[in-house]
Amino acid sequence: MRLEILTLALIVGACTWAFRFFPTKADLSGIKPDGVLARFLASTGPAAIATLFVASVLPMMKGGVPLPLGIGTASVLAVYAAARSVVMATLAGSVGYGLAVWLL
Amino acid sequence: MSLHAPKSTFTAGLVTALPIALGYFPIAFSFGVAATRAGLTGLEAFGLSLIIYAGAAQFLALALITGGAPVLVSAFTLVAMNIRHVLYGPALIKRVGPDARTKHAWAWAFGLTDEVFGAALGALARGKVVFSEAFMFGLGLAAYGSWLSGTALGAFAGGAALQNYPVIDAALGFMLPALFLALLLSILSKLQLPVIAVAMAATVAVTLAWSGTAGILAGMVAGAVSGLLVRRNDAA
Repeated sequence: MRLEILTLALIVGACTWAFRFFPTKADLSGIKPDGVLARFLASTGPAAIATLFVASVLPMMKGGVPLPLGIGTASVLAVYAAARSVVMATLAGSVGYGLAVWLL
Repeated sequence: MSLHAPKSTFTAGLVTALPIALGYFPIAFSFGVAATRAGLTGLEAFGLSLIIYAGAAQFLALALITGGAPVLVSAFTLVAMNIRHVLYGPALIKRVGPDARTKHAWAWAFGLTDEVFGAALGALARGKVVFSEAFMFGLGLAAYGSWLSGTALGAFAGGAALQNYPVIDAALGFMLPALFLALLLSILSKLQLPVIAVAMAATVAVTLAWSGTAGILAGMVAGAVSGLLVRRNDAA
């Protein structure tokens, strides 16, 4: 393994671990249940996941919304509505997207 | 769920991680293929997954390495990209409440990726699990194992592995967006709709105006801040 790649991996890996670990030790006992910080933290999850979904599909949307993306998204929505299963919805989205690419 | 319900086990964590493992494997496979295509050895590709363990940052690392960027510049860029993770620990611990134990968080928090955080939060929100460190170890280990095995197989298969299978390549490429959307649906509530709308709009606007990394940070922060404002207005 080249030294520069190992160095890069160690720096980034150590910082990423620190970002994930040290905030779990933050003292949250003084936060009021309906206070500003509590509401901020409650909104963090939906905001983060919505952001990551958009960030992951944006590169696929150059020049509009391609049909496979629409079919893949619709497959996730339909299967989640029917089965309430993250596993099934994820697989259905991938299969729907792949089938649309194949057929179109 | 009752306050006295038994804490979820390591096995429950493994089971909850199933969609992540299914989603991670093909993406990690793609990373292994892309890394070897970019000129990295199999060991270097596996080393990036083993040590960094952050998908988007790893793909960006390939671009920086092959582009000849200096190590410190690359490191600074990738660290900045991962700074969003500082929000996950407090959000998760706050959701659990005073029963949250973090004695071994130095170990399980290594695996607190975007998807693991989303799956843990979703399972807690649906009342399907009761937080425990064993549960977090199970959740994180299954996801990490999938990521490492996918990378190893992709690196072993080599840079040309998917060139003759464009449909499979496309389907695998949509696995991660599908997983994010399914996770979002699993924690969706009427109260959080404005948060989600603002986060999405901010991500699009800042990504188009500046960069993808800035868009991710902007979306998360704008969405979380909007949650404060909407609820404050509702209460007024």
